[in-house]
Amino acid sequence: MRVPLGTIAGARSGDKGGDANLGVWVRTDAQYEWLRAELTVERLKELLPEAGEVDRYELPNLKALNFVLHGLLGEGVSSSTRFDPQAKALGEWLRSRHVEIPEELR
Amino acid sequence: MIRIGNASGFYGDRFSAVREMLTGGDLDVLTGDYLAELTMLILGRDRAKDASLGYARTFLRQLEQNLADALARGVKIASNAGGLNPEGLAEAIDRLGLGAKVAYVTGDDVRDRFPEALTANAYLGAWGIAECLDAGADVVVAGRVTDASLVVGPAAAHFGWRRDDFDALAGATVAGHVLECGTQATGGNYSFFTSIDATRPGFPIAEIEADGSSVITKHDGTGGAVTVDTVTAQLLYEIGPPAYLGPDVVSHFDTIRLDPHERGVRISGVRGSPPPDTLKVCLNQLGGFRDSTTFVLTGLDVEAKADLVRRQLESAIGAEDLTWTLARTDHPDADTEETASALLHVTIKTSDPKRAKAFSRAGIELALASYPGFHVTAPPGDGTPYGVYRAAYVPRSSVPHRAVLPDGEVVDV
Repeated sequence: MRVPLGTIAGARSGDKGGDANLGVWVRTDAQYEWLRAELTVERLKELLPEAGEVDRYELPNLKALNFVLHGLLGEGVSSSTRFDPQAKALGEWLRSRHVEIPEELR
Repeated sequence: MIRIGNASGFYGDRFSAVREMLTGGDLDVLTGDYLAELTMLILGRDRAKDASLGYARTFLRQLEQNLADALARGVKIASNAGGLNPEGLAEAIDRLGLGAKVAYVTGDDVRDRFPEALTANAYLGAWGIAECLDAGADVVVAGRVTDASLVVGPAAAHFGWRRDDFDALAGATVAGHVLECGTQATGGNYSFFTSIDATRPGFPIAEIEADGSSVITKHDGTGGAVTVDTVTAQLLYEIGPPAYLGPDVVSHFDTIRLDPHERGVRISGVRGSPPPDTLKVCLNQLGGFRDSTTFVLTGLDVEAKADLVRRQLESAIGAEDLTWTLARTDHPDADTEETASALLHVTIKTSDPKRAKAFSRAGIELALASYPGFHVTAPPGDGTPYGVYRAAYVPRSSVPHRAVLPDGEVVDV
């Protein structure tokens, strides 16, 4: 059954110049194994179609993935014409996207 | 152990936090972070109007009300509120006449190498702050030091760390990263906010040990929560690769270990390695003028309404420099007017202030001549200057990082 990613995952996002970063974490090892396999760069771009070039980093010690979305904010917050120019809510947008999460992980 | 609290995560954060942190329990050091990329631009515009400004003025008012109390309690204060003018802020604190020993850190301003920039500041590290504290300063004001340096400097001074104690420096950097955004570590802006009382989160404290490990906590009786989840959330804020570069140490975020602790969260295991030979520079440049407005498109024919107003505005002032975004926030057959409405945002960014004015006038003149139901969320203003941010890198050895001690002695860091 498709449910919001935020059912099991937390997120925090913000800006570094024209790039946005988006950290996503879960609370159990089993959830992290699923997250690491599910949330590839390609999958993230499907869920957030506004993303362009994306780097992904794994932080297994925090059960977290960190994504850097290059250029999403143009030339930085003061110049950006984006609705959320500091990418503060990018993480909450991602959490609201529906994905297939195995029943036993919820 | 040294107990370091933070009372500010940005210029504009909770004014009463300095008092709350001083009176809420024991502290050795109170820090305040006032700077961000955007703040440097705002301070740059302040300084352009009046060269005696360029620092965070709220910090001065906070000290006016609380410095005597901090001195009486023996709590040292370290802040980057100096912004573009740490010397000016240090002098203003002296003028409060409370007898505090005030020191400041300087050398971050590298505009001489970036003449086109409104602001150009290298991110300095912790050692200037440590020098000031070693010299007995009660208050240390810095400009563009890294946010975490406000925590690393006091810890390094307290424990007598050497510059190659990389694991300890990395541990303190991680604690500093957790503290630097204030209540974002204690349940503010937290995904699982419904599982805690997030009404008024307390500000965070790091109890740092000689090896750089720490316990993140907050004063008893304050709101919010310090849990592995709230700390994880803040660790993920504004980071890139796991090797987190800083001016004093590279902190390896993939070695951080978090454990629940009876008063919060314990951080241990952080590994550090030598820093790069370059320092990052925060550059802000004026980009031009911008103005924007949002047309509200209600009910039927939303796309056609958007096409009409776009055609009208572009035929009045030309299409160049305009960015349009149609947000289909409307719902069919809606039972409230607001949920029947879509939003059409348009922004102009131009080097010509006259063109920004023409945009405003043209937008207003459409009021009786456009799509049915025409209205805007707010009329376009006169346009404001906007900044363009970029990062640059300069050799560390080329940046004159200096500590100016309470007695006026200048020390090269």
